[in-house]
Amino acid sequence: MRVLLFAGLRERAGWGERSWPHSAGLTPHQIWSQLPTPAPAHSVRVAINHSFASFDTPLNPNDELAFLPPISGG
Amino acid sequence: MEAERRDPVEATLPRLDLQLLTTSLDPLACLAAWQRQLADLPGGMPAAEAHFIGRVRGVSGQGLPLEALELEHYPAMAERRLQELALVTAQEATAVLVRHRIGQLRPGDAIVLVAVAADRRGPAQRCGQALLEGLKHDVPFWKREWVNGVGTWVEGNTPL
Repeated sequence: MRVLLFAGLRERAGWGERSWPHSAGLTPHQIWSQLPTPAPAHSVRVAINHSFASFDTPLNPNDELAFLPPISGG
Repeated sequence: MEAERRDPVEATLPRLDLQLLTTSLDPLACLAAWQRQLADLPGGMPAAEAHFIGRVRGVSGQGLPLEALELEHYPAMAERRLQELALVTAQEATAVLVRHRIGQLRPGDAIVLVAVAADRRGPAQRCGQALLEGLKHDVPFWKREWVNGVGTWVEGNTPL
């Protein structure tokens, strides 16, 4: 599966996209806890396949998971 | 001029005209083109319009002169969320126009244009407000302010 980071998260981690090995029951929370320089989880939102999701959503092997720092559009 | 013919079911849905732009946004030209299309609707121009234009401030969040503002987005998700947001918020509207910049902007440049046409001022203004707040909080855009050659990501939004 693919994991994406954006904006400040990408720069703190030093990468914007990685392939990630899938395992049964894998959740965004488990991946987040393995990132080298995570921001506070409460400040980050999760998207799975371009839709907002929760940190405990089970992931599928072909999912695109994105961690989104605080949005500042408009 | 012959009135535009639309399917009866389609005619009950708001007309959504939504775009992300990588080049400069001329909000008044966009509005004028949109209004020409509205004039061709069966029944003519809707009675009410609400417009919002957002521009780049000349100072950063720290109060320093701003050199540039960079707007990053999550391709595919930003377009999808914008479409979903417009469908949800425009239930009472006749037509919605949104233009949102991405890329590099300078102070004074237009970032966003939101325009809503409806039969009455209430739906037009409510829809415009809801769309704008949704753009600020629920469509994946991120701003980076450039001051003295240093970029700082903006975390969150200015107060309403």
